[in-house]
Amino acid sequence: MLKKYPTLLRASWALMLEFRGEIVMWMMSSAIAFVMLLVWLSVAEANNGVVNGFASGDFITYFLISWAMRNLTAVWASWEMDAGIREGRLSPMLLRPMHPVHWDISQNIAEKALRACLVVPVVAVVTLFVPGVRIDWSISTVLAFGLSLVGAWFILFWSDYLTGLFAFWTSQVEAIILTWFGIRLILSGMIAPLAMFPASVQTALYWLPFRYTNSFSVEILTGRISGGELWAGFAIQAAWGLFFFVVSRIVWKIALRNYSAVGA
Amino acid sequence: MSQIHVERLSKHYQVHEKEAGLGGSLRSFFARKYRTVKAVDEVSFDIQAGEMVGFLGPNGAGKTTTLKVLSGLLYPSGGNASVMGHVPHKRETAYLKQFTLVMGQKQQLMWDLPAIETFLVNQAIYEIPKGDYDATLKELDQLLDLGPLLKKQVRKLSLGERMKCELAAAMLHRPKVLFLDEPTIGLDVTMQVRIRDFIAAYNQRHGATIILTSHYMADVTALCERIIVIDKGKLFYDGNFRELIEKIAPYKILKLQLSTHAISEHFTEYGKVESCDGVTVVLHVPRERATDTAAHLLTQFKVNDVTFEDPPVEDIIRQVFEGNRK
Repeated sequence: MLKKYPTLLRASWALMLEFRGEIVMWMMSSAIAFVMLLVWLSVAEANNGVVNGFASGDFITYFLISWAMRNLTAVWASWEMDAGIREGRLSPMLLRPMHPVHWDISQNIAEKALRACLVVPVVAVVTLFVPGVRIDWSISTVLAFGLSLVGAWFILFWSDYLTGLFAFWTSQVEAIILTWFGIRLILSGMIAPLAMFPASVQTALYWLPFRYTNSFSVEILTGRISGGELWAGFAIQAAWGLFFFVVSRIVWKIALRNYSAVGA
Repeated sequence: MSQIHVERLSKHYQVHEKEAGLGGSLRSFFARKYRTVKAVDEVSFDIQAGEMVGFLGPNGAGKTTTLKVLSGLLYPSGGNASVMGHVPHKRETAYLKQFTLVMGQKQQLMWDLPAIETFLVNQAIYEIPKGDYDATLKELDQLLDLGPLLKKQVRKLSLGERMKCELAAAMLHRPKVLFLDEPTIGLDVTMQVRIRDFIAAYNQRHGATIILTSHYMADVTALCERIIVIDKGKLFYDGNFRELIEKIAPYKILKLQLSTHAISEHFTEYGKVESCDGVTVVLHVPRERATDTAAHLLTQFKVNDVTFEDPPVEDIIRQVFEGNRK
């Protein structure tokens, strides 16, 4: 299968270049991180500059990395699955001797490469020129961040794919996708750092998958997590990734039995 | 052993039914009503390697559903199907590499890229060696004249051009079995002939087995000696196309252009008079007596011109469907 990826990635890259304008528009939609930054800077200012251990520079760093995370882990396989089933585009893909998910994965990787071309310069410029931004650029931290980024993407991709599989049974998948996204927006730390949540909620979030799709990576790059806590985090992240992967595979097999392809 | 073996194959769907209006929506929300549709109902047939078979039936007869079950897209509700020794719904890679399903209205080409990109992706997916890929593409180019189309964005191609590229994309792996579902739909006559010629040439060169559905009878008459007719999911004819035509319409249409005036009663002894305006007479005469009748008429009347025609195939098939429904 891996031998097919260079060709899939090349075609996906060509496809993404066709959609470059649309991708930039999607990136702008992730600017909610900067809106939330302004909100939290105001809150910090009203609280003598610090909220739950976060000073202004910490908020800027947090939401900058959170914005980068959002762009480097964005997934849309569920939308494709939903439209593919409704419009009949899934059928031709099922006829090929390759699981259609490989096409979703290659397109996602190609799109991430394109987004990275814009994200990296923005992070570099902000880090260099905005005072108070503190990122731990040590090699071990950057490697750990990179690993957690892949882990976050893995959870998001397979949970999103699983959501999309509901399209085999219902035409209301968009509602499920948006509800899941709304919950994730809050509980992954995209609206507020998890440190701002009550202790009991933080304990629950430690075990749930949301933290490991955003906050965990931000915590690593800002040096707020290390040692045993870091490895425990990776273990939980890997467990959730594996969980969504395995469940997706099982549901896919059941879904195919249920595929009606009426008019498709 | 047959290459395609279908035995008592069934595919049933549960269809949600809703009455119109707000009341209907509310009732449907609280108490959903379902109806079982027998899209394919205990259909059986066998097709030998290299055969080209026309699959006919009115809209909703179950043709496409049958092809989807044979392609492994749908699980059957009952019965068995085997294609080249494979059970389609198991979707084994070895099976997926040996057949193709072309749906006239659904596309595999990547809309925003040139067709050649889809071809290259298919080469990778089907693991076609470079030499084979080049040779097949060259052959497809000769048959379909693809040259100028390959580097144009698919969305900028005309319908006919796109169909040619769709067919080529579906044939790159040289499938042994072709399921062609309305491959000429929406195309102009010239392009229909082109696609038809391509299908015939592919069948001859590679000995491929082909099942073809089409609402254009010219496709079926040009390509298929055998037809399978289904309606409401049930098979009710499987055999030689010509024999069916002779059974349903055992007459030829004889058209006479007279130089003197005549009335329809002059011709009733020769056959059924379809029309007679005094100088042009259209008669339905039994096939076996058509030549003798024409010769006799030429001696009895002053005839400027005489022509024989077979009844339009569309009319015959319509009669078959209507007869079945009665």
